[in-house]
Amino acid sequence: MFEKKHEMLRKLAREFAEKELEPIAADAEKEGAYPKELWQKVAKYGFTGITIPEAYGGCGGDYKSLAIVVEEFCKKDAAASSLIMSNSLSGAPYLYYGTEEQKQKYLRPMVEGKTIGAFALTEPGAGSDSGATQTTCLWDEEQGCYILNGRKCFITMGPICDYAVVFAKSNLEAKGTRGISAFIVEADWEGFSRGKTEEKMGMHASVTSDLVFNNVKVPKENLLGKEGQGFKIAMGILDAGRVTVASQGLGIAAGCLDLAVEYSKERVQFGRPICKLQDVAFKLADMATEVEATRLLVYDVADKLDKKQKVTLQAAMAKYKAGEVCNQVAYKALQIHGGYGYMQDYAIERMTRAARLVSIYEGTSEIQKLVISGNLLK
Amino acid sequence: MAENKTVDLSAYKDVWVFAEQRGGVITPVVFELLGKGRDLASDIGDVKLCAILLGEDLSDMTTQLFEAGADVVYTADSPLLKNYTSDGYTKVISDAIHEFKPEIVLYGATHIGRDLAPRIAKRVSTGLTADCTKLDIDPETKGILQTRPAFGGNLMATIKCPNHRPQMSTVRPGVMDKAPVQKGRTGEVIPVTLTLQESDIRTKIIEIVKTAKDMVSLTDAEIIVSGGAGLGDASGFELIKKFADKVGGVVGASRAAVDAGWIDHSHQVGQTGTTVKPKIYIACGISGAIQHLAGMQTSDIIIAINKNPMAPIFEVADYGIVGDLYKVIPELMEAWG
Ligand SMILES: Cc1cc2nc3c(=O)[nH]c(=O)nc-3n(C[C@H](O)[C@H](O)[C@H](O)COP(=O)(O)OP(=O)(O)OC[C@H]3O[C@@H](n4cnc5c(N)ncnc54)[C@H](O)[C@@H]3O)c2cc1C
Ligand SMILES: Cc1cc2nc3c(=O)[nH]c(=O)nc-3n(C[C@H](O)[C@H](O)[C@H](O)COP(=O)(O)OP(=O)(O)OC[C@H]3O[C@@H](n4cnc5c(N)ncnc54)[C@H](O)[C@@H]3O)c2cc1C
Repeated sequence: MFEKKHEMLRKLAREFAEKELEPIAADAEKEGAYPKELWQKVAKYGFTGITIPEAYGGCGGDYKSLAIVVEEFCKKDAAASSLIMSNSLSGAPYLYYGTEEQKQKYLRPMVEGKTIGAFALTEPGAGSDSGATQTTCLWDEEQGCYILNGRKCFITMGPICDYAVVFAKSNLEAKGTRGISAFIVEADWEGFSRGKTEEKMGMHASVTSDLVFNNVKVPKENLLGKEGQGFKIAMGILDAGRVTVASQGLGIAAGCLDLAVEYSKERVQFGRPICKLQDVAFKLADMATEVEATRLLVYDVADKLDKKQKVTLQAAMAKYKAGEVCNQVAYKALQIHGGYGYMQDYAIERMTRAARLVSIYEGTSEIQKLVISGNLLK
Repeated sequence: MAENKTVDLSAYKDVWVFAEQRGGVITPVVFELLGKGRDLASDIGDVKLCAILLGEDLSDMTTQLFEAGADVVYTADSPLLKNYTSDGYTKVISDAIHEFKPEIVLYGATHIGRDLAPRIAKRVSTGLTADCTKLDIDPETKGILQTRPAFGGNLMATIKCPNHRPQMSTVRPGVMDKAPVQKGRTGEVIPVTLTLQESDIRTKIIEIVKTAKDMVSLTDAEIIVSGGAGLGDASGFELIKKFADKVGGVVGASRAAVDAGWIDHSHQVGQTGTTVKPKIYIACGISGAIQHLAGMQTSDIIIAINKNPMAPIFEVADYGIVGDLYKVIPELMEAWG
């Protein structure tokens, strides 16, 4: 499945993660932010545009490449995939549905590491049920633009984004999800504001907040795709997005496994390293097997995406599996660390808190099961 | 348990009100108790309405009590009684009850009243009903019927005290009507016999501290006026505060308003703020996110003011006003009078 270029990329991503991410991960978690220089470094290496065509400043790589980078990043720093969200949630809407102008204006600077984007779908009353969107963006004939009003919550990069793709009802008469459209909204427009940065359980360096829109004027050219296409855009992006989150889960699980293996070799109790205790060794065996199964599932979906096959079912399976596995593996890895694992001095503590998110965002495990069973039973 | 000796009911006469004072100022609930006490006295017939006042330098306060309807004021004037102490007040009032044998004693359900009344009830072996919201005289027995909410307000219990005297209640402030003031009205002052020694009082008051900050007690408030992001900026809460003062309510807020730094977190209503159940909840410029609704949707009456007719708050509101809160609230305040 992998070509030479994939192996080279893995080597590069691994080195980057070891050299640039691992040393600062604990600090970034405490600070609740990545240092500015890191964003630029990530862009310089081309990680912000792995799947983005060269025409927009990217590398024109495939989804396997993206999965590889995300896996390697997250092995060392669970939150780091947010640094390259331009490949998935933040950037893909432009790539798939944007006009040439929109791509040049919004996608390119993101890929070049000059700007940060966000994807704003979730609302206080519309989480799993994203069709229940309350935000409105209605055409105002007099002013000759759309007027955006509402509040989005849990928006990754919300506190620092320069612009966001916002999903809003543009037609109050149209039934259900059909009245939703996608709009590109710039952060310095009048009426745009942000809530306070959420204090999360984990992934602190990946910042999250509300985005608030109060009579924001959105020009016609900032409609993304066609009117009423919003829900389709959101769902289309999420398929690919789920592969990224699944890779994140895979990376976290693999990273936790690495930490557990290493620690179990060093820690001595009852006169020998704890890895010589069969219970510990068997735990490691279980963990490794789960990680490998997840890995095959994730890369298989990435491969299918690259072959332009429909992946809704497998993407849901990969996201579900990875979300659950990273939690199980993190749990066991922390257990192997004993009391030390519960201390913030050890990376496993941070990784365990981070793992908890993977089974929740970009569709909870339950929603993935809904998709999977829906496909099985249709 | 109180010993079950028979009490000569006929030996007890008159309705007493504990005239709680703090720093020489009579607590407002006392005037409400005098108002109610007057009704009770006339329903029983041929009994006097009395107040019992403890403290230092009592003459001004005594005058006020007469003007609010007391026929008799029992006084205990001593430096030891200047500030409230459980021991001092319990001893003096219990002694006075033994000496003068009132039929009914009412206390305001303030922090002091709630501390004092149960101690006296034990000392004089009688019944006490706490936090009453309604008091009546049983026309047949002439005994008092004491009604109070129980189980968080889900049950109203009416309680009698048939065989012991005095019959005692603490009464929730704000539910009874104040006695009318009759300028120049006077009555009889009867000093109680004081045997109180400094050694009887185990509490030593070192300092009485008044908090400068407005205490927000959202949970106790009967009316809450809440502001949300729709206020637009922090100054919007000035309007909300005016509105709240006008209607006798407390200021609440949504998390969006708190996060914006417009108001302190102690005002936040909702899942991660305070859960409230006032009689009236007025939501101004609040969209009605589920995290907010979770904290207030069991309010008796919900009034929503929001310019967006689609706002989810209207789904739980009993009364909804679609409009700009800056226009609607001033009009409401004017209509309130
Ligand atoms: C840190 C973080 C970052 C995020 N970043 C973004 C972002 O950048 N952009 C964005 O738009 N959103 C983002 N989200 C939102 C995320 O996608 C939602 O939290 C997620 O979709 C779940 O929605 P909810 O939290 O409202 O939970 P709910 O939908 O309220 O779900 C609550 C529970 O009910 C279950 N449930 C709901 N419906 C069903 C059903 N039909 N069948 C079975 N079970 C069900 C769920 O599985 C879950 O267990 C982020 C969230 C977090 C925590
Ligand atoms: C972890 C977490 C915990 C939370 N806990 C809570 C909580 O405890 N309590 C809470 O409240 N929220 C909580 N929330 C936030 C909740 O999800 C909503 O974001 C919040 O309640 C929205 O506040 P709002 O209604 O004031 O603002 P918005 O949703 O922005 O609504 C403002 C409203 O004002 C109206 N408006 C605007 N201008 C005017 C005007 N001039 N006149 C009249 N109306 C106007 C608009 O139409 C709109 O409906 C929590 C969120 C998170 C993530």
